[in-house]
Amino acid sequence: MSGHAVLRGEGLTIRFGGLVAMDGVDFVLQAGEILGVIGPNGAGKSTLFNLITGLYQPTAGKVFLNDRPLNGLPAHRIVQMGISRTFQSSRLFTDLSVLDNVIIGMHCRTQSGVFDAMLRPSKARGELRQAAAKAGELLRSVSAGLYDQRGRAASELAQADRRRLEIARALAAEPKVLLLDEPSSGMDDRDTDALIADVRAIIARRPELSIMIIEHDMRLVAELPHRVMVIEYGRKIAEGSFADIRNMPRVQEAYLGRKATAHA
Amino acid sequence: MAAELMQQGLNWLTLGCIYALIAVGFSLLFGVLKVIHFSHGDVSLVAPFVALAALQGWSASASGMSAIGLLVACAIAVVATGILGVVLDWLVIRRFRDAPAMMALVATVALGIALRESVGHIFPNGHNPQPFPRLIDANFNVTEGFNLPAFNVLVIGSSIAVVVLLFLLLQHTPLGVRIRAVSQDREAARLMAISPSSVFRATFFITSAIGGLGGLFYASYAGVTRFDFGIQAGLIGFSAAVVGGLGSMPGAIIGSLLIAGLDTIVQATLPDGASYRLVFAFLLVILVLVFRPAGLFGSVAVEKV
Amino acid sequence: MRPTFSDITIVIALELIGAILLRFFLLADDWRIVGGILLLFCAGFAVMQFRSDWESRIGDAFNRGTRLAVGLAILLVLLFPLALNGNTYALHLLIVSQLYAVLAIALNFQLGSANIPNFATGASYGIGAYVSALLAIHFNVNFWLALPAAAVAATAFGFLLGVPSMRTRESYLALVTIAFGVVIHQLLNNFDWTGGPNGLVGIPAPSLFGHSFASPIVIGGIKLPSQANFYYLSAVLVGIAIISAQRLHGSRIGLAWNALRADELAARCQGINVIWYKVLAFAVDAFLAAFAGTIYAFYISFISPDNFTFLVSVTIMTMVIVGGMDNIFGVIVGAFLLTMLPEKLRAFSDYRILFFGIVVILFLMIRPEGLFPQRLRRYGGSE
Repeated sequence: MSGHAVLRGEGLTIRFGGLVAMDGVDFVLQAGEILGVIGPNGAGKSTLFNLITGLYQPTAGKVFLNDRPLNGLPAHRIVQMGISRTFQSSRLFTDLSVLDNVIIGMHCRTQSGVFDAMLRPSKARGELRQAAAKAGELLRSVSAGLYDQRGRAASELAQADRRRLEIARALAAEPKVLLLDEPSSGMDDRDTDALIADVRAIIARRPELSIMIIEHDMRLVAELPHRVMVIEYGRKIAEGSFADIRNMPRVQEAYLGRKATAHA
Repeated sequence: MAAELMQQGLNWLTLGCIYALIAVGFSLLFGVLKVIHFSHGDVSLVAPFVALAALQGWSASASGMSAIGLLVACAIAVVATGILGVVLDWLVIRRFRDAPAMMALVATVALGIALRESVGHIFPNGHNPQPFPRLIDANFNVTEGFNLPAFNVLVIGSSIAVVVLLFLLLQHTPLGVRIRAVSQDREAARLMAISPSSVFRATFFITSAIGGLGGLFYASYAGVTRFDFGIQAGLIGFSAAVVGGLGSMPGAIIGSLLIAGLDTIVQATLPDGASYRLVFAFLLVILVLVFRPAGLFGSVAVEKV
Repeated sequence: MRPTFSDITIVIALELIGAILLRFFLLADDWRIVGGILLLFCAGFAVMQFRSDWESRIGDAFNRGTRLAVGLAILLVLLFPLALNGNTYALHLLIVSQLYAVLAIALNFQLGSANIPNFATGASYGIGAYVSALLAIHFNVNFWLALPAAAVAATAFGFLLGVPSMRTRESYLALVTIAFGVVIHQLLNNFDWTGGPNGLVGIPAPSLFGHSFASPIVIGGIKLPSQANFYYLSAVLVGIAIISAQRLHGSRIGLAWNALRADELAARCQGINVIWYKVLAFAVDAFLAAFAGTIYAFYISFISPDNFTFLVSVTIMTMVIVGGMDNIFGVIVGAFLLTMLPEKLRAFSDYRILFFGIVVILFLMIRPEGLFPQRLRRYGGSE
């Protein structure tokens, strides 16, 4: 951990009609850190991601990436600035090939416009061919099994491979910050172990990459994040190492009471 | 001048009611199906043809055209249109319930075309305009220079009655509760042992029958009916529903009144206004949608991530 | 990879068979011959449906022998009019089919690649036709200058049409495009300077290097009717449309369109400026449609609003759906089939529109991916 704040949220608040979905949440993500986000269903964890990635505009509060405010920027600009994400229910481009999914992830790192495509096809095609080669490498580095399936339609992948592909697609944008929204959902224990190994392999290659990860699986939360923050009813109720927060009565009440005590 | 204004006001209300009868169907169907039923206008405009056919059958057996004959013919037409809606749902639309919205959209556009052309082919000489009788021909002479035709009273009165009945049905009957349940959450409704298919059938019957009544008024107002009236009526009804916000009943009614108002003003002030009526209606639609993408009373759905 | 001998055989055989069938289809007077050829066509499809290994074999042959396939296709297109015994009606059908093929390719950018409903392609087509015709009639602008001018005007319209797509989607957007289409039609019908319902007449024939397109082509003793000029012109346009479509499809732009077709929100989260790509799809559609409109206007030399109705837009949409969304070849087949079939089955011509409606519904229910489904992209030697 190099210790400077990459991503920072200040007093993030959003209201939908009368419902306050997020209420004054502050957070800091250090370079090279993995920050776990836990909390009961409907606590507002995904909302937090949606606020960071520009899908929702906060009613109040600010998000900074390396001290540059992100407020008001459209989602696609935020990706370009270096924040990529995955989705809770995987949202792949199912009718395209695995490789195409990753190439699309590189969209903001490629240049060709309409005129290039129409009038300078060799340039546009060369760029895409390069992207394809790079995407292949990326896939291989994430998972050899996925690389072997790169010509298939994404819809044909098994659940665990879909997750991997989604992570690979997010990495294709060369992010500074990676947001993983419940990567283990729908996975069995063996797949979850593989996922933990995959994420370890990814950070081993990218020491500067910072990750925020929403999780329900306490095994994963215990293993991966350096720090964990707990959200309940749109508020941050605790923050610290997993060992610390798991013993906080308030956290146990809100969340761990039911699930993690059974696990631990 | 005052009489002139009142006459125009009456026109506006009448037209608005006719549009509303069709627009309400668009809105309710969208609320339940979550997909636009583009051919609703064409379904509605089948009613005048059924009524004409029934009338011709009647006058062949009895002599001449009587008020009762007309009434019976219209009743037959309304019911038949309702059934037609159910049949089309069963034949075509239900197959697109879980398909991407684009497919249902294109399919119902095509369905409208097929329906329109079928009417043109099946009805004798159906590709030519058919004269359609005024449902009531009496006049109330209210003041000097201002006539209140019974037809307009009939249209406005029955439209209000239909809308009130529809509202009562939706709010206070078991069927209404089921319809609202399915339109809020189809899966949850299914878990509560509400069969969505039966709700769809009921909704199609109700909306098509109401649309059929609107179609009868539409033809009667124009004095003729044409096989391709459906597209114009459909576009106006759909526009009204969209301006008001799809899924919102009051929205559909207010949207209809707005479009009818624009229509009346254009026709009264512009030379040759009748040929511009759709132009202005659509400019209104485009404007409303650019500034309020979900219509005046619709809410923008926040997509769940 | 070099094509093998059997690749070469497959490519040559299929293209020749296709050309010969098309010729007999065009010249057939008897509906039984038409029906027979159609049956053959259907049988071919049934075989492909059940023997997907044959289908992929053919695909491989064309992939490896692309140069041969393209060269032979160009040759066949060039020579085809010679095989028509000077039948001008057949040539006319070919011209119209080719123009519709261009329109279908244009719409495919939206409907096929990006899944955006657009019921206003007919209006863009009409704007192209009217702008170039007005320029030619009133300002004596020649065809070759009117062509780009019309394209610019229609593209501007496309951008305008695309503006509502920034905020509206699906049913709402569909209504907006219908609205635009109807508004354009009614305005053309009502304005004096567009000739009202009577339209514009006396659009002069183009000429190239002193050769007027109104006169027959005579080369080395062979004489082709004057329609052949427009046949070749529209063939060139189809070529341009195919090349543009392929280049866009095979680029980052095509991928971005496909991404927003599959999942618009996920596309935004990959850094794709969804709004720009939607508007772009409208603009590209209008641009190509204007070319087709201009050629149509100069070919027929008479245009009226009724050439550019909502039904024209629906017809184009039918072609895309029947042929196969996002498959350029499929879309062209769809355009040819649906232009020629109603003309060839004259006995049923009254039922043409009904036929279109039912065909669309049936295709969407039974084979929503169209005759030729889209294919996954391949990158040099990745498999």
